[in-house]
Amino acid sequence: MKKLVSLVLTAVFAVTSCLSLAGCQSQPAATSGTTTKAEETTAGSKGSDEAKPAEGSFKVGAIYINSQNDTSGYTFAHHKGITEGMKQVGLDPSKDLYIVDNVPEDDEKVKQAIDQLAGDGCNIIFGISFGYINAMNEKATEYPDIIFSHATGYMSNEKNFNNYFGRIYQARYLAGIAAGYKSLAIKNDNIGYVSAWGTEYAETCSGINGFALGARSVNPNAKVYVYEISTWGDQEKERQAAQVLIDTYKCGVIGQHCDSAQPQIVANEKGVFGCGYNSDMTAEAPKAHLCAAIWNWSAYYSTAMKAAMTDKASFMQTVGNYYQGLNAGLVDVSPLSENCEPETADAIKLAKDLMIAGKWDVFSGVKLSFSGKAGAVTVEQKNDALKDNQGAEKVAAGGASVGDDVIQGSMNYYVEGVTQVN
Amino acid sequence: MKKYHLVRRPRQSLGRLLIYYLIGITISLGIGAILLASLGINPFEYYGRMLTIGMIGNKYAYKNIEGFLKILVPLLITSLALGLSFKMRFWNIGGEGEFLIGAISAAIVAFNVTGLPRPLTIILMCVAAMLSSGLLGLAVAFFKVKFNTNETLVTLMINYIMLYVITYLGKTKEDWNFFLDPKSARPIFGKFPETGIMTGIKIGNFNLLWSVIIAIALIALIYVYLKYTKHGYEIAVVGDSNATAKYAGMKVGKIIMRTMFISSAMIGLAAGLTASSSGTISETITNNVGWTGIVVAWLSKLNTPAIAVTSVLIAILQFGCKTAATKYPSIDSNFADLLQGIILFSVLTADFCATFTIKKKEDAKND
Repeated sequence: MKKLVSLVLTAVFAVTSCLSLAGCQSQPAATSGTTTKAEETTAGSKGSDEAKPAEGSFKVGAIYINSQNDTSGYTFAHHKGITEGMKQVGLDPSKDLYIVDNVPEDDEKVKQAIDQLAGDGCNIIFGISFGYINAMNEKATEYPDIIFSHATGYMSNEKNFNNYFGRIYQARYLAGIAAGYKSLAIKNDNIGYVSAWGTEYAETCSGINGFALGARSVNPNAKVYVYEISTWGDQEKERQAAQVLIDTYKCGVIGQHCDSAQPQIVANEKGVFGCGYNSDMTAEAPKAHLCAAIWNWSAYYSTAMKAAMTDKASFMQTVGNYYQGLNAGLVDVSPLSENCEPETADAIKLAKDLMIAGKWDVFSGVKLSFSGKAGAVTVEQKNDALKDNQGAEKVAAGGASVGDDVIQGSMNYYVEGVTQVN
Repeated sequence: MKKYHLVRRPRQSLGRLLIYYLIGITISLGIGAILLASLGINPFEYYGRMLTIGMIGNKYAYKNIEGFLKILVPLLITSLALGLSFKMRFWNIGGEGEFLIGAISAAIVAFNVTGLPRPLTIILMCVAAMLSSGLLGLAVAFFKVKFNTNETLVTLMINYIMLYVITYLGKTKEDWNFFLDPKSARPIFGKFPETGIMTGIKIGNFNLLWSVIIAIALIALIYVYLKYTKHGYEIAVVGDSNATAKYAGMKVGKIIMRTMFISSAMIGLAAGLTASSSGTISETITNNVGWTGIVVAWLSKLNTPAIAVTSVLIAILQFGCKTAATKYPSIDSNFADLLQGIILFSVLTADFCATFTIKKKEDAKND
């Protein structure tokens, strides 16, 4: 009897776990516009059959803060970048990729992950979360033969340890243009922004500023209301923040710097508009979403892996500390949805071309302004000082862009037109 | 179903227990194998990697032993400590909280006491950790003895309080906060000065941490303490029945407070050693030993040598599941946790079946 009971119990347990696993797996297929894991793997093995490098000669290690089986968010974007990057350089992600996932920002656990990846013979190890910094720095000395590459950090050495990040503020500027046109069309100057953090982190701060400058290039009266949720991702808080911005601050467009699509979903429910982040969120918010600032991490990963495969010793000369933007294709905006105003595409293209050509950048003493109907949109560059929201001048009219160190590290002010509401 | 009920088996036999365990583990590994195969992974290869804690084909296999020992030592000491309090039926489920306060205290010493030689600093760290954890445990026992508070609730809440304390310390960038890395603009825990970081005995490349030796010594110590000392006898009697202990002239309150102090101080020691061997602290420093330790203690029936063996097995399971998953990009640590859960669940089921049997009601009456 008891054996029967335990057998039944275990069987039920097994079936449910099978089902839940299957459920997890089928989920990515539902999100349109993103490559599913299964597709990636098959495509990967196909690719390796055609252009095969020396089998097992180069192994890639990755340390993730969440799981590679995520279907959206930060780890998802990096995993997609790494697997696509590997295929571009002829590696097979199903064989040559070693992953330690769900690694918290805990030195001891990061070090153990690195030891494991080193032991498995990885030639390059990517760590995607900021808090891995000290452990990676330390282990880079211990394993001089392995390249260590750390996202969002600031440490590096001369031989085998670099950091990488991207000018996502450029992409946010472009998304801001879309938001600006929308705000003109709906005759509502209030734009909301759900942000993980405010001025504490240059990463969020520069993103907010880029978005606001983009919106104000089209609609000079636009005001950006920032709601800080004090965590990188919490679906419930993201939802509530968007609700407050729409209901209390009467915002008609919702931008975001947080993990999930909840702000866009709320915008969709409430009949307003929004700009997502990390992935094209049109599927989640079909009636609301305009375009999203997105990362295309494979641009970096393929560069880094190619350099490490060709000549490891010169990695810090060929790649070095990597900080690129629209020019390298590392950041971009997702395809414009049908919700966008007709002028948006032209204006974004004009701004993008200027940035790719290196003729203009967001945080400088020159502001762009757009005019004209769709098909005949023109851009004008005007000398105009970059001021913070207290009126203090940060860059004089006509001045060059603030340094990368400011954008990455020390920017702690909001530009004109930005207000934090909490 | 009314006709049947659960009866504890009259005689416990080790042989039966082991056979049941074997059956349970085989079933769970079988389920795991089906899951693995359905994901396109060779289960034998996976299990091979898991049971050898990822050492096969590993360039730095000794590092995996080091990593494994770092997981094992805190689990072992915490399980021993929890076993002590469980033995007198004191439901201390505050292992996490006691561990965290110990780690914080050790970090306070490590960051502020500089200039002393390394061994002395580390001993100071451990003493601070043991005192803080011990006093916390003593306070819980005091309330239990004095006001008959529910120790399960109190210790449970302590876990959350301490977790939020350390999270606060880790996320608050202020001038007074010496726990953080001063070089980083974003708040992250800093590294201890060199004098606060434990070394070990070098055997070739392999580094045998002092904490391992201390843990082994503790097994012997606790074994002797429980089996051959007056204190150990008192704990056993209090566990059997408070009334008996009182009748025999034992001061039950004192025994409870003393034992809780020792038990929590041991968890503090585990925390001090862990902090010192990692050279920093973090919110996740406990590695859930406060919870896993409960499972280990009960699976071992609070028997000291069994606790040692069980913690080794559980640590292999934990470390092995994670390292095995590394090689297969399609499975993440959630799968490793799932597999761990299936195995633990089946072992507990096997344990239950070996301890209890289902009898017909009439039979039971005749007993």
